[in-house]
Amino acid sequence: MSKRGWILVFLVAIGLVVWAALLLRSPEPQASQAAPVFRGVQVEPQGAFRMVDGPAQISFPRDHGPHPDYLTEWWYYTGNLFTAEGQHFGYQLTFFRRALLPPEDRAERTSSWAADQVYMAHFALTDTGAGTFSSFERFSRGAAGLAGAQAEPVYQVWLEDWQVTEVSAGRYRLEAKSGEVSIALDLVDIKGPVLQGEGGYSPKGAQPGNASIYNSQTRLGSAGTITVGEEQYAVSGLSWMDHEYSTSALGEGLVGWDWFSLQLDDGSELMLFLLRHEDGTLDPYSSGTLIQSDGSTRPLAAEEFEITPTGTWTSPHTGARYPAAWEIRVPGEEIALAVRPRLADQEMRLSFVYWEGAVRVEGQRQGGPVSGNGYVELTGYAHSMQGEF
Amino acid sequence: MMQGTVFLPAGLRRVGWRYFVLRWRQSLFMVLGIMLGVAMMVSIDLANASAEEAFVLSSEAVTGKATHQITGGGPGVPEEVYTHLRREGLEVPLAPVVTRYVSSPRLGDRPMQLLGLDVFADAPFRGYMGEQASGGEQGLIAFLTRPGAVALSEENAARYGLRPGDTFEIELEGRRKEVFLAGIVQPPDDLSRRTMEGLILADIAAAQEVAGREGWLDRIDLILPEDSQALEERIRDLLPEGLQLAPVEARGGAVAEMTEAFRVNLSALSMLALVVGLFLIYNTMTFSVLQRRPLFGTLRCLGVTRGEVFGLVLTEALWVGLLGSLLGVALGIALGRSTVGMVTRTVNDLYFTTTVQAVGIPVGSLIKGGAAGLLATLITAALPAWEAASVPPNTALVRSVLETKVKGLVKWSALGGAGLIGSAVGLFSLPEQSLGLGFGGTFLVLIGFALLSAVLLAALMRAVEPFSRRLVGLIGRLAPRGLVSSLSRTSVAVAALMVAVAVAIGVGLMIDSFRYTVTVWLDQTLQGDVYISAPSFSANASLSEIDLRVVEWIQSQEHLGELYILRSTRVESRSGPVQLSASSNLEVAEERLYAQRIGGSDTVNRALSQGAVLISEPLANRMGLNAGDSLELLTGRGWRSIPIAGVYYDYSSSEGGMLMLLPVYRSLWQDTAVTALALRLPPGMDADLISRQLEEETSSLQRLNIRPNRQLRAEVMQVFERTFAITAALRILALLVAFVGVLGSLLLLQLERQRETGILRALGLTGRQLWGIVMLETGLMGLAAGLLAIPTGYTLALILVYIINLRSFGWTLQMSIQPSVFAQAVGLALLAALLAGVYPAWRISRMPAAEAVRYE
Repeated sequence: MSKRGWILVFLVAIGLVVWAALLLRSPEPQASQAAPVFRGVQVEPQGAFRMVDGPAQISFPRDHGPHPDYLTEWWYYTGNLFTAEGQHFGYQLTFFRRALLPPEDRAERTSSWAADQVYMAHFALTDTGAGTFSSFERFSRGAAGLAGAQAEPVYQVWLEDWQVTEVSAGRYRLEAKSGEVSIALDLVDIKGPVLQGEGGYSPKGAQPGNASIYNSQTRLGSAGTITVGEEQYAVSGLSWMDHEYSTSALGEGLVGWDWFSLQLDDGSELMLFLLRHEDGTLDPYSSGTLIQSDGSTRPLAAEEFEITPTGTWTSPHTGARYPAAWEIRVPGEEIALAVRPRLADQEMRLSFVYWEGAVRVEGQRQGGPVSGNGYVELTGYAHSMQGEF
Repeated sequence: MMQGTVFLPAGLRRVGWRYFVLRWRQSLFMVLGIMLGVAMMVSIDLANASAEEAFVLSSEAVTGKATHQITGGGPGVPEEVYTHLRREGLEVPLAPVVTRYVSSPRLGDRPMQLLGLDVFADAPFRGYMGEQASGGEQGLIAFLTRPGAVALSEENAARYGLRPGDTFEIELEGRRKEVFLAGIVQPPDDLSRRTMEGLILADIAAAQEVAGREGWLDRIDLILPEDSQALEERIRDLLPEGLQLAPVEARGGAVAEMTEAFRVNLSALSMLALVVGLFLIYNTMTFSVLQRRPLFGTLRCLGVTRGEVFGLVLTEALWVGLLGSLLGVALGIALGRSTVGMVTRTVNDLYFTTTVQAVGIPVGSLIKGGAAGLLATLITAALPAWEAASVPPNTALVRSVLETKVKGLVKWSALGGAGLIGSAVGLFSLPEQSLGLGFGGTFLVLIGFALLSAVLLAALMRAVEPFSRRLVGLIGRLAPRGLVSSLSRTSVAVAALMVAVAVAIGVGLMIDSFRYTVTVWLDQTLQGDVYISAPSFSANASLSEIDLRVVEWIQSQEHLGELYILRSTRVESRSGPVQLSASSNLEVAEERLYAQRIGGSDTVNRALSQGAVLISEPLANRMGLNAGDSLELLTGRGWRSIPIAGVYYDYSSSEGGMLMLLPVYRSLWQDTAVTALALRLPPGMDADLISRQLEEETSSLQRLNIRPNRQLRAEVMQVFERTFAITAALRILALLVAFVGVLGSLLLLQLERQRETGILRALGLTGRQLWGIVMLETGLMGLAAGLLAIPTGYTLALILVYIINLRSFGWTLQMSIQPSVFAQAVGLALLAALLAGVYPAWRISRMPAAEAVRYE
């Protein structure tokens, strides 16, 4: 064999061994950024969740607590707070409960971690002075003391260290902290619980069962501290609490709602919600409540108020187009209000996307000037809320 | 030198090549020697790499990205600790973990890890369930809410034909549980696919229920930022007594260190084969250079430079090394299939349960082995190449000059050998007791003895000559003298054979000593008649719990004699987790052999009842503890300093362990679990029969290992034999390398002496007589190698038993010498040599005188 021939043989031999090695070797394991896919088995429930199909006997403190036989429930705290110098902050702290199984399907379990309820919480802070908005989300099982709600011995709703706890009758401590942002407030219920709709029964559509039980604490005197990074602010102002539970809150064809909670400086509050159809039209079951300064309430049917958007804002993050200013009229009460967001971008980009933000209110009531603060929630603009709750 | 290779004139390269082809047998032996050496290195390296990978993957599968863990000795971490930490708002990722080794007949009956996790907290750690663990995920509902719900990787489900919604049985510490396949995880990448191979995922609630661990977590995982001292302090302050927060590495480190020792041992042993192989290369290359001295002389006359001659020889070595290494790598991969199994099995027996099998072949091992073979060949060949290059440019010089030179060299090599042995002794007596130094010394000793072999061979032949002459006359005189006169090659062949046989003796003696020691230890330690434990995947220590109903039931059977309860668990010490056994046998101290004690039996017993521990020798070595010292342990009541009453010999684990009395343990840890029972039957009862009866009667509660003493002992010995299976295999391989080598060198030696033999033939010696000379020569060489191997092997055994084993595993072994090992070794050497002599002898005896004299 020639010299070249030999070199060839060796090259081939080396090639063969390298090839065999590569063949036998599995590709070097690489951790990718991709998320694993979990395909769970779908088990058809035997039973069904309880439906809200008519007015209920509501009794406090019991009904401040959870109603686990209904599919969803939430405790919604929002508020407008000011420092002594007048710097404005808005906050939202919401606890969502969702049942995993209808009552009949729940098995007897021996582990205290066994959960048939899951909790989610959202926390947001609007720092109007700095022009910043931060939002956070958490999940936990409603078991092992990690998250839950209770009416007795004292009212409490919590997810880990985010919590609202009753410290004495009508007085609460609200705490939440995430990253650089934290809030700690003492709340005092000035007016007592308010039942929305017909004594707490709030229909959301013509179909029986498309309704919720809805009550609020519309005027919670608030004082405490807000921390942003190294800065600590002593703040005071007003908060609003909504507690609502249901099994089917959105009727067919509805994509979302616009919800307003406005606290006026004449001592009254106005709650309004619009249910929106896919085609943009409003549902006749949209409604509201006027809470007078003495605590008496006047339910408002859809035809008793008008809400006219006067501006829009398109989210640069999601592309969703939200109404961004409104004119609100309640002719029967001679109320005409202009509502403007404190900050344009108060979009909550979490498991689902919605806009929930602090607003400033100015206008007239019965000829006199009136002003105030509030919160507005706009859902179903980035994606339909159908099936989410 | 590579320049010489590259610029070698084409004609010169042909010279080398022609020689190669003509002497193909010679080349073949060189290639074979390197191939076997490299193959052994590669196969052991593959096994080590795969054992390590299995360990890393198996532990990563459950540790994930955790940096710290909260653990507690005894029963574990009370679950409310997790809630407490969560509600403190620490803002660091925290996740609860419940984990148990399980197996399932439906999943191939292999060890798997049941991993109970909280989907809402686990994403930052392991992410098996995806980042989006929202409650809205319909698919998670069954996984979260069904009792016994589990999830498997897509591969496992497909391999075992399971579909979501199926139910199947798993076995956990002898108890069968039905589980429900609530979901399938499609891992996003190859790494998660591999780690998931050994996992059965479950919600933490389902895992607690399946494992009977309600109220407890095995640990809490955390991801802490770097330099988080203040945060760590804060967390420690939040923990109740009896729990500790420690970095993950500190916990896995001890196991990694111990398997490291095991792997280093195997690597060192595999390198011995290469060393033997190198002797052969040296031998063969020297020989080929010798043969061609006239040729090199002529070449030099023709104007070929010294450097070119050097390059020529080295190029030959390069090709031989390359071919041998490549073939060795290929053979190593083939052998790797069995070594991987053996090593993994042993690692599973001794150190940890791996649930993931390493697949594929790490290219690093192949490159390492191949490069080592090539490099070693070149270095070894450099000496003969130098020799070739120093041939003066004439052909007048003959071998006798070389042999004269060799005689001078013999003295120097003997001096060098003595020097190496001396420095090895120095290395061993250094205060630093490192394993690396230990093996370094071992190699020095071996090479030292090999260097001594030339002088010893010459001396031996001189001593033998009068006897052999008297015995077989002329032939008896020719043979030993012939060996001495060609000492340059004979001594290397003898050294190679000697090293191989010495390794065989040394390793053999070490295994015998080990076996003997374990037998004595078992006699002392296993004094019960029937032993009961729950099945586990570790051969040496079962931490599986026995159902308390079983314990109570056996306790109620008073006719069965005395019942002793043993609780084995892992507790935290300042330097990581340690195995602790607590026995209800108050005289347990009498059933141990001691390396150290604080006093007599009474003193030790009193100390134990007052809360002292006994620690095993490996633990004492590992932690540098002595009897009379004390050891800090994290008890259920916080850190306690526990006095050490004694150090006992124990061979069940190289990690080591502690022994204390059960009442002491229970008061410190408030843990009533039981992991083993020992029965001491009243005289006359049949242990086999009782074992079978107990097995039948408890089988409805828990499948238990109920074994009479004799069977348990046999099983321990079986694990022992399994552990040394690979060592024994390596020993045989080393012999094989040596045999091939000796065969090669003897063959060459005899062929080279054709002319000499031809002259003898011409002088009238018969074929039979020639046959006799050759056989006598090779026989003498074998005998010399065998005899020299005895002291070398014995020294090696001493080193292995008293230095290497102690440093690797912390075990002191009793040296046990069976003379048969020596006899076998000498016999083996003799046999190898004689076998190797048959072919040359046959050839020479049949060769016509004229042809024999013709030479070339």
